[in-house]
Amino acid sequence: MATIQDQSLHLTETDFWKHQSIRKTWDQIVPGEPIETLPHTLGLEELQRLCRAVGDLNPLYFDEAYAKSTPHKGIVAPCYIHILLMFTCTPINYYMRAPGTINAGQSWSYNAHARPGDTITLHARALDKFIKKDRLFVIHDNVFFNQHGQVICSGRGWTIRPE
Amino acid sequence: MNPNFENIQIGAEFKGPSFEPTRQTIKDFCDASLDHNPLHLDDNYMEGSFGRTKFGGIIMHGMSHFSLMTRMLNDWLMPQGGVHKRLETRWLVPVKPGDTIQPTGRVKLKNQTTNSCFITIDIVMTNQKGEVVARGESMAEFPPSAA
Repeated sequence: MATIQDQSLHLTETDFWKHQSIRKTWDQIVPGEPIETLPHTLGLEELQRLCRAVGDLNPLYFDEAYAKSTPHKGIVAPCYIHILLMFTCTPINYYMRAPGTINAGQSWSYNAHARPGDTITLHARALDKFIKKDRLFVIHDNVFFNQHGQVICSGRGWTIRPE
Repeated sequence: MNPNFENIQIGAEFKGPSFEPTRQTIKDFCDASLDHNPLHLDDNYMEGSFGRTKFGGIIMHGMSHFSLMTRMLNDWLMPQGGVHKRLETRWLVPVKPGDTIQPTGRVKLKNQTTNSCFITIDIVMTNQKGEVVARGESMAEFPPSAA
């Protein structure tokens, strides 16, 4: 597999076809093998952009004075921040970006809120792959940590892979 | 025991706001999540078939369901001291621009463990035709310290 020199390309590239030739296909994915990940420092702006896209204007995510008055003691990220972190913490050649990757279902457990300024790391791998009803499935195993080594959240996803 | 936990009734129902995805909201979600998969952007690509599935046009992100369900859960749980701990979802019917979807939660179970109290919530996302387009199951905690 080729590696990408520009380590911020994954944050800016919107054409998912462009690097398709260097992504692993279903045939090449090895269950159990850790995937390459990239640490990411979570910005307040990107956190709030995701909230706005969901129409979620909870002051816990926007109003520092309010958030400070709660047990959270400051603005936190909504627990669904892993939706964004999955793409900020993985390089452009990660097969989750393969055009036609269909998300069949996910389950996530939440432990600690991510906060703006946190440096977040991802431990991830494909856990399993199989064929069902003529479709190529992969089960994904993902755990996000903050800079203190504390688990933010852990999740399992089911995708149907493009052929 | 957390008194808020005691007050919760099995069978209690609550709804999140309805949501009408458009091409623009789907594009906004692409930009906010960095998930620019052509499934959500490219009409020509979506005219093709995907093995046994043919979508016939761009579809909303599955994770939009996920975040809308989470928003509903947090809006209901936070004022009563509940903490959202888990969400599992399955997407059943693709959602397209022009659809209107709305999540409903229903308390299914209440359980006490040695250290805390938990509820399990069933979630359905329905569209304007009344079809269930996604399902979810959530777990929330009512910690004794928050009482």
